[in-house]
Amino acid sequence: MSTPVILAINIAILVALGFVVKTVKSDPTQKGGFNFNYTTSDLVIMAVLGALAGVINTWMGNVWYAANTVSPIYGAALQGTFMWAYILAYFLVRKSGSMLIIGIIEASVEALLGNQAGLSTLGWGISQGIGAEVVMAFCMYSKFGWLALGLAGAGASQFGTLWSFILYGWSSLTDYLIAAPINLISGFIFSGLLGYFLGTMIARTGLLRATRRGAE
Amino acid sequence: MSEHSLRYIENGSFFNRMDALSKLLWALLVILTTFQLESNLARAIMLAAVIFVMIALARVPLKTVLQATPIILIMGSLLFFVHLFTAPSAETVTIAGMDFGKEGFDKGLQYFFRITIMVLASFILIWTTDIRDLMVGLVSIGMPYRYAFTVFMALRFLPVVQQEVDAVKAAHAIRGRASRSPLQHRFRLWQRYMFTVIVNGLRKAENTALAIESRGFGAYPDRTFVKEFRWSKTGIALLLVFAAFAVWLILWGKNRAL
Repeated sequence: MSTPVILAINIAILVALGFVVKTVKSDPTQKGGFNFNYTTSDLVIMAVLGALAGVINTWMGNVWYAANTVSPIYGAALQGTFMWAYILAYFLVRKSGSMLIIGIIEASVEALLGNQAGLSTLGWGISQGIGAEVVMAFCMYSKFGWLALGLAGAGASQFGTLWSFILYGWSSLTDYLIAAPINLISGFIFSGLLGYFLGTMIARTGLLRATRRGAE
Repeated sequence: MSEHSLRYIENGSFFNRMDALSKLLWALLVILTTFQLESNLARAIMLAAVIFVMIALARVPLKTVLQATPIILIMGSLLFFVHLFTAPSAETVTIAGMDFGKEGFDKGLQYFFRITIMVLASFILIWTTDIRDLMVGLVSIGMPYRYAFTVFMALRFLPVVQQEVDAVKAAHAIRGRASRSPLQHRFRLWQRYMFTVIVNGLRKAENTALAIESRGFGAYPDRTFVKEFRWSKTGIALLLVFAAFAVWLILWGKNRAL
């Protein structure tokens, strides 16, 4: 089992998720398109969420490391618990690249707080962020419903395993393939759905009315 | 644990006085080199070199190192034992009277060294670098300052988050929250803590954005800093020495049996 094989498997899964996102009806929808014009408010929101997620994930990481070191199957169930902030940030900020940016911020916080993988934690931040971005790019960042965000969470969760593979070097392709659907379900529920529901609850508080975000 | 053992220590050491970017590049160089090494002896030499940097050049206090040791060793040790017992091996090696698979033993050592070196190099960077200097350095090599500031701000928000959690806990306690309750109830409490902390954090984010924008943040493509970044000669020298050492180690370790 080599890195190119794992990369190919993960790209295939991301493309499949991307096509599903493209075809599903997922309300609310917006005009979409690539928008990288971040306001200061967007950046500060991502900084706050990155700090919060960094603290929670550093603690959660200790549990995950123990499980994941043994086999990808054990770590898969918890793999999805790390990306809820990516989805929440995307729901609130609604701009392309936000999931990758918060991935890097959150992973930097984790690395500096004492994550057991040190600077290599950034590898997960980047790979998970890219996973979610690729899935949402298929629908041109136009869908913000639970199904679309759930699939973005699933993509992030699965693509993060590429970095885990590089670091841990599991030798069983069968274990990796068995773990894939567990990763996807875990990411869908614990990242996608959790991020979406947190976003809708925050929108209901009226907190974001000032910046007209998430008010639909 | 991490709060006490992983923080910037200003002790005037050789590593402390180096510029932040050289230290970051050094850590990345160590990590990249470790991935290229093909023998466990070469990895052991790299680990020894990193320990030398930690003790002699960074002068990290022993107490700090001991506090961080479990974080550094736990994952490496776990990986060692997992590969030792799971990797298929044709030959065996005998250690302390017990037989183990040779391939499993070698692979276990490989991942133990790899993880330990990476974590230790990262920790040396954290112990010897003020994050503010690192951000200024990243901006000086072309990173847009608004994004560098976002990472810095996330770190500045950490104590605020902690205060917020304490305030929410205190508010719940005043309203009669049970100090000992079943797991399900505790989970529900944490749900409430988290939502309140997120909402309060976002409220602060809006206020912070307004406050910094009113001071002209983001108005210009460039900005000035109180402390300007400058490459240090010692930093560049260390990078060159380590680059030469890395090339030698990679070549030396090629096709080595151990």
